[in-house]
Amino acid sequence: MRMNKKELKDILVGVSFLTPNICGFLAFTLIPLLISLYMAFTNWNLETHNMFKDNPVTFVGLENFRQLLSEKDFYKYLGNTLFFMMRIPIGIAGSLIAAILLSSNFRGGNKRIWLTSVATIMLIVGCGAMVLGGMGATAMTILICGLFGVVIVSGSLGGQTVYRTLFYFPHFTAGVATFILWKKLYSPDTGPINYALTPLLNTIAPGLAAIPHSGAVVTAAGMTLLIVGICLYGVYRNTALWRDGESGIISLLIGSVFLSLPLIYMAPWTPFQTLRHLAFVPPALAWVMVAVRLGKGRRHPSNPDEGLADAVIICGAVMAGCFILLGLSRVVYGLPEMAADGLEPPKWIADYHWAKPSLMIMGFWAAIGSNNMLLYLAGLSGVSQELYEAADIDGASGLQRFWHVTWPQLANITFFILIMGIIHGLQGGFEMARTMTEGGPFHATTTLSYYIYTEGFATGRLGYASAVSWALFALTLSITLFNWKFGNRYTND
Amino acid sequence: MGKSAKLLALNIVLAVIATSLILPFVWMILTSLKTLDEVGLPSWLPATFKWSNYADVFRMKEILFSRWYLNSVFVASWVTFLQVFTSSLAAFSFSRLQWKGRDQVFLLYLATMMLPGLVMMIPNYRNMIALGLVDTYAGLILPAAFTAFGTFLMRQFMMNIPRALDEAANIDGASKWQLYWEVILPLSRPALVTLTIFSFMGNYQNMFWPLVMTKTPHRYTLPIGMLFFDSTQGQQTNYLMAAVSMSVIPMIIVFVFMQKQLVKGIMLGSVKG
Repeated sequence: MRMNKKELKDILVGVSFLTPNICGFLAFTLIPLLISLYMAFTNWNLETHNMFKDNPVTFVGLENFRQLLSEKDFYKYLGNTLFFMMRIPIGIAGSLIAAILLSSNFRGGNKRIWLTSVATIMLIVGCGAMVLGGMGATAMTILICGLFGVVIVSGSLGGQTVYRTLFYFPHFTAGVATFILWKKLYSPDTGPINYALTPLLNTIAPGLAAIPHSGAVVTAAGMTLLIVGICLYGVYRNTALWRDGESGIISLLIGSVFLSLPLIYMAPWTPFQTLRHLAFVPPALAWVMVAVRLGKGRRHPSNPDEGLADAVIICGAVMAGCFILLGLSRVVYGLPEMAADGLEPPKWIADYHWAKPSLMIMGFWAAIGSNNMLLYLAGLSGVSQELYEAADIDGASGLQRFWHVTWPQLANITFFILIMGIIHGLQGGFEMARTMTEGGPFHATTTLSYYIYTEGFATGRLGYASAVSWALFALTLSITLFNWKFGNRYTND
Repeated sequence: MGKSAKLLALNIVLAVIATSLILPFVWMILTSLKTLDEVGLPSWLPATFKWSNYADVFRMKEILFSRWYLNSVFVASWVTFLQVFTSSLAAFSFSRLQWKGRDQVFLLYLATMMLPGLVMMIPNYRNMIALGLVDTYAGLILPAAFTAFGTFLMRQFMMNIPRALDEAANIDGASKWQLYWEVILPLSRPALVTLTIFSFMGNYQNMFWPLVMTKTPHRYTLPIGMLFFDSTQGQQTNYLMAAVSMSVIPMIIVFVFMQKQLVKGIMLGSVKG
């Protein structure tokens, strides 16, 4: 009995410290959450339910969700959101490379003076070469070279901190202000990007126009085949990993789905529209490969699914690469014809096809030096040197060192970054869309979060907007739970 | 020689990346020093550096720049103060006190970190209308004042403070409040500093909530003001860039001086789960 009293007192004391937080939690999280859940099942619409028209809000059951699933726009915006998420593996790769570069020892040590002088000489030579090359904008060349010189000298003297700070600026300042900055950078007529591209394109246009049509076709075809090759090889490696017991069935299937996506996507996007009926062949081949392997069974059965995070990231990166290649192959295909009339730089965020890549380029600018890079830096400093020494004794090449020592040692961090990336990615895109594109052109950059905002705060369909936000939440939750379930070898150690 | 060449190559690669990453900022500052006539020209360099642009931003019609600046700082300061206070209290309870059900409650807290803010946004907005708090500072500050992330961060730090201190305080007859206020809180200074920077910076830049909450230019915070600036007088690129610079530069300064704490905090908030 006394024990219970003490327990009770402990709870009281413990909870009393929580009180301010709990009050806030109730008022601004839990209660709104319940209201939102209720709203999702009502026809609450500000057009019909306001102080002038006093219609009662009625309970409509699953009507909002039914409407959501039958609305074409919803799938389009979901697709946009998922498309933007391709920047996650690209961003992870960027931050990892940045972290690896930063963590290697590049300080001059006693060679500081030597290094500084080399940098200075190179700077002068660089300036001279560019000025003599007749780029015209002399002042700007000197400006950029000077900047480069300052960076390299301070970097080689100051070491990691200097570069790390410079890398981190874009991420740290990312917000409305920098989005407005990029809007101006992307300006089709007066933006610095197009000012730089126009003379460049004018210089190469005659050369490109001279390329025979067949040359462009062959190049584009080569790129398309390269995509097919990369994806099929990826699927093959995937089956091999499963055969050797290094990954589980989920990894095999997820990986193969990921790798088939560029192949399936290719049909309407490939420049070779007359051959588009053949587009089913590569994906079919990939799945036959998977089926055959599944039929043969595996050599070494292993534990439940390991390495799912690896599979998702690597396949995601391959997928992103393939989509870039696909876009490029289209560009290459039409290039000679376009170049004949003179090349024009893209209209970036004002162009339907370029808007998404534009925002992703900006996202990449902010993602290289992000928190993820700092996490990787910390992770890399924790990798034991003995492992590398052992790898050296075994005669591992640089790439082998990376795949067999560095990557597995960083798996923990990668997994964390992936989960956070997916959660943020699904809910992301609002600020960019609101600041730079208003979701356009023609809804090319409308993500689900921007959709919820416009439905809820502009159109006033509160019930429907709540339903969309719950659908988004369900999606986030299921992906995260899936990841925890199958990716948890990293977190249970 | 081989090693020196490698060093140089590495430095060049890093310097090229770093230079290209900061080029947009260079363009921003140079453009902010141009006259309006020079804005559309290809050259990045202004004929003369027109530093008065920065002062002019404060005098522009309908652009209440100083007001927005102060609003942002005011709101972010209050939110930061409340967040740090409430989450350090909660973290103390979650890390230094033993009570039944503690870990379950903590898990619930962690779970709320996963909820998309979007789900709560619409009802929160309706509630603010009902309470008459739309377009007020209280409406901007209160919903942002409680954070599960901050609680998590502080707890991770407090877990690492030696237990023996609690026992010593107990023997000296200190109350739990004294333990919190006089022992644990002073020792948690690094985490407090980190959380302060995080939440200040986060709220200084926060866009979604102020966007729906503010209706009159007098209540705008800096991000909303910048949006307004861009949509109404965005053609004046030189002034716009001066305003962008002035909103970005404080962050850069904070980062340069506080980066040690920040880097530590980022580690604290993630890996040691």
